[in-house]
Amino acid sequence: MSHVLLVEDDAWLADVEAGALRSAGFDVRVAPNALAAIDIIDSIQPDAIVLDVLLAGSTGFALLNELQSYSDTATIPVILCTSIAEQLNDVQLKQYGVHRILDKTTMVPDDIVAAVRSAL
Amino acid sequence: MNGSEGSFEVTPLIAAAHELKAPLALVRQLALRLGDDSLSPAERQQLLDRTVLTSERALRLTSDLTRAARLDSAMFQLEPINPDQLCRDVVSELQPLFQAYGRSVAVKGRRHPLLLVANRDLLRRILLGFSDNALHYSLPGTAVHLQIQAFKKTGVIRVGVRDFGPALSSDMWRSLQKKLNTAPQAIHARPESSGLGLYIAHQFADAMNGKIGAVRHKDGATFYVELQASNQLSFL
Repeated sequence: MSHVLLVEDDAWLADVEAGALRSAGFDVRVAPNALAAIDIIDSIQPDAIVLDVLLAGSTGFALLNELQSYSDTATIPVILCTSIAEQLNDVQLKQYGVHRILDKTTMVPDDIVAAVRSAL
Repeated sequence: MNGSEGSFEVTPLIAAAHELKAPLALVRQLALRLGDDSLSPAERQQLLDRTVLTSERALRLTSDLTRAARLDSAMFQLEPINPDQLCRDVVSELQPLFQAYGRSVAVKGRRHPLLLVANRDLLRRILLGFSDNALHYSLPGTAVHLQIQAFKKTGVIRVGVRDFGPALSSDMWRSLQKKLNTAPQAIHARPESSGLGLYIAHQFADAMNGKIGAVRHKDGATFYVELQASNQLSFL
């Protein structure tokens, strides 16, 4: 079973997204912020990360930088799930291991499943 | 990393659109989830409750924006207000939202006999806004406290909303201090917020001859509004 780390600070949105991934057979861990995400990454080395950009306390970009700093985490595929997709430069983000950007305002729950599957 | 790299002007209109995106996106996701036939009645009810509560949060923001835009021409009355009673009313109003998020909200400290000079509606909106912000930043299982403090020498009463969550970094604190007294900032200055809520609170406080501020704690923050005490005493 593939392990997916979902980093989302809105608990209710995290429930919806994690529910879709679990229904598709993924083992999902949820982190509400970047610090909690790093703790989980250290313990389980997820196969993929679904990352919100606008997090409380720190940003998803800070976590992306952290991931790129270590060889064992730099290769983990990251799917950005954000409500500011139109403001992001996906060419630059590819250099940070971002596999895909999902727009929270238009996506359906199955889009996360499809994005994770294509990243693995 | 941001597509626009440099700063871009954020008008209140853009800031409002940004702030409303998150709750609207959540309402949409909750509604999509409701279409799942395999949901139990309890799960369906929970989704419905969350949809209603999230809609109400978004509506509060739109209502505050409308009120802020009409401050100059609005006829609003300043009167002696019992802050303790108002805090308890705010707590009652927010209790369902906090419970649904696994947090609690309460008025802390002894009942205060002093009154302050304010407009009840504007002060209520400030406290609702601060509390909503605290809900976002507080950790699951923690309580958010509404607190009243009197400064007798200056004749000021401070009504604060204390959250318990991750400490703000120095950078975020400096960014926050700027937002307490200025218009909404570039969205990437503090990515999770445009500062619109603080801007609205500042406008409301200013209209009541008061001011807003914040105190950083090692385990969270307090956002407060300071208003002049009334010479009248509460009999409650």
